[in-house]
Amino acid sequence: MEDQRTAALNAVPPCGHVLSSEKWRNSSLVQSLRGVNVLFESELGVADFHLPNRSCALYVSECDIVAGNSYKRKLVRYRNAGSSFQELVVVENTRLSQQYFSAVQKFVVLELGLTVLPVSGQTEAAQLIAQIVHSSSRENPFRRTVSPRILDPLVLAVVQKVPGVGGVKALALLQKFSSLQQLSNATSSELEPVVGRAAAQHIHSFFNRSTGQ
Amino acid sequence: SESSAPPAPVCILVDSRCISAGVDLMTSLRQRHAATVQVCSLDGNYFIVSNRMAVARHSQSDLAAVQNRKQLVERGKRLQGLFERVCFLVEKDRSKPGEISRLFQRSRYYDSTLAGLVRTGVRLLWSDGEEDSAHLLVDLARLEQRKGQGICAPLEVKGQHSEQALQMYLNLPSVSYVHALNLSHNFRSISHFFNSPVEAIQKGGCMSSSRAEEIYRFLHYSCDTSLMTAAHSGKTS
Repeated sequence: MEDQRTAALNAVPPCGHVLSSEKWRNSSLVQSLRGVNVLFESELGVADFHLPNRSCALYVSECDIVAGNSYKRKLVRYRNAGSSFQELVVVENTRLSQQYFSAVQKFVVLELGLTVLPVSGQTEAAQLIAQIVHSSSRENPFRRTVSPRILDPLVLAVVQKVPGVGGVKALALLQKFSSLQQLSNATSSELEPVVGRAAAQHIHSFFNRSTGQ
Repeated sequence: SESSAPPAPVCILVDSRCISAGVDLMTSLRQRHAATVQVCSLDGNYFIVSNRMAVARHSQSDLAAVQNRKQLVERGKRLQGLFERVCFLVEKDRSKPGEISRLFQRSRYYDSTLAGLVRTGVRLLWSDGEEDSAHLLVDLARLEQRKGQGICAPLEVKGQHSEQALQMYLNLPSVSYVHALNLSHNFRSISHFFNSPVEAIQKGGCMSSSRAEEIYRFLHYSCDTSLMTAAHSGKTS
């Protein structure tokens, strides 16, 4: 039984599906979820919905907010459930509840470190949840892919930040001293054959002069 | 607690481009919240509230406009490369005095943008207007300060040489303005910094170990000048 319960708590719905807490079965939110398959589960814990991509959502209604502080306890339990999911909080921001919104946001985002997504009601929430479900099966344009960069031109650009050093000198310097670290350790006399005496002294002192703390 | 002595002022770095679009915000930061605000030239319209967090301000209609997608995506990625934490401050569109506030029409596109941002770990904060944004920025900066991440290096760089060193640091990959300030302040010379081990870079730059490692690798990277000669002559011709 215990195992089953934990299984439900960590259940990730299949692609295109939402796992909804049983209590939402006849809600307008679930009824307005278009193009999404809803599975009901009675053991979801505090969360109202499990979404693909390991995220879950808790719905804080206008009623919860206006009625007072008990929703805060629920939020804390939600956060402390310690699930491996990204925890979203969908907050109803209506004419009635908007005066409390900034306090709710402060509590959820700044104190608990969760994500707030404001909606005007259950219909908007359904649209948002549907989009989260749909976009989880698509490529995310915002995802940062770290591609290996070619560093050589970047190093060259840094060397050109030494006053008096342009493209030609920078290149000559890197031919002799291949890295920034080596270049910064070069003595004036080592630099001199490459860029001439005046520039050599200038470069040496640039690297070694105090940056004035 | 609220009753104790006023907390130390928070430091916020502001891109010069933020000013024209947020006069009330700037005034509020300085006057109402007594924040130390340093205007500097960041690479694009955002705030730095701690050693690891940047905040970009967007109007709700910005996020909802399809034609902004490319710019938004690039900005998000760029900031995520420079900062451990990136926050988008989403501000309600301002209605002109006398105008009946237009109801924001939520689109599928807007929702998918939110879904994408949240999924990449961008934090969202919702603001009613400039005044509210100033409040949130200060709250964030104070929270970061409490976590030991507040900006503590002197915000102004004095003297030509220090300014030139700062410009050099800003050209290192993955180094943000606040990292560069920390490096200029915590290393006695450029050569001292260039010769430091990863741990010293991490400590002096007040940055993550992976960032410090990346910088260390860059400083020790051996260039292949034969490749660059080609690239360079291509660029100048």
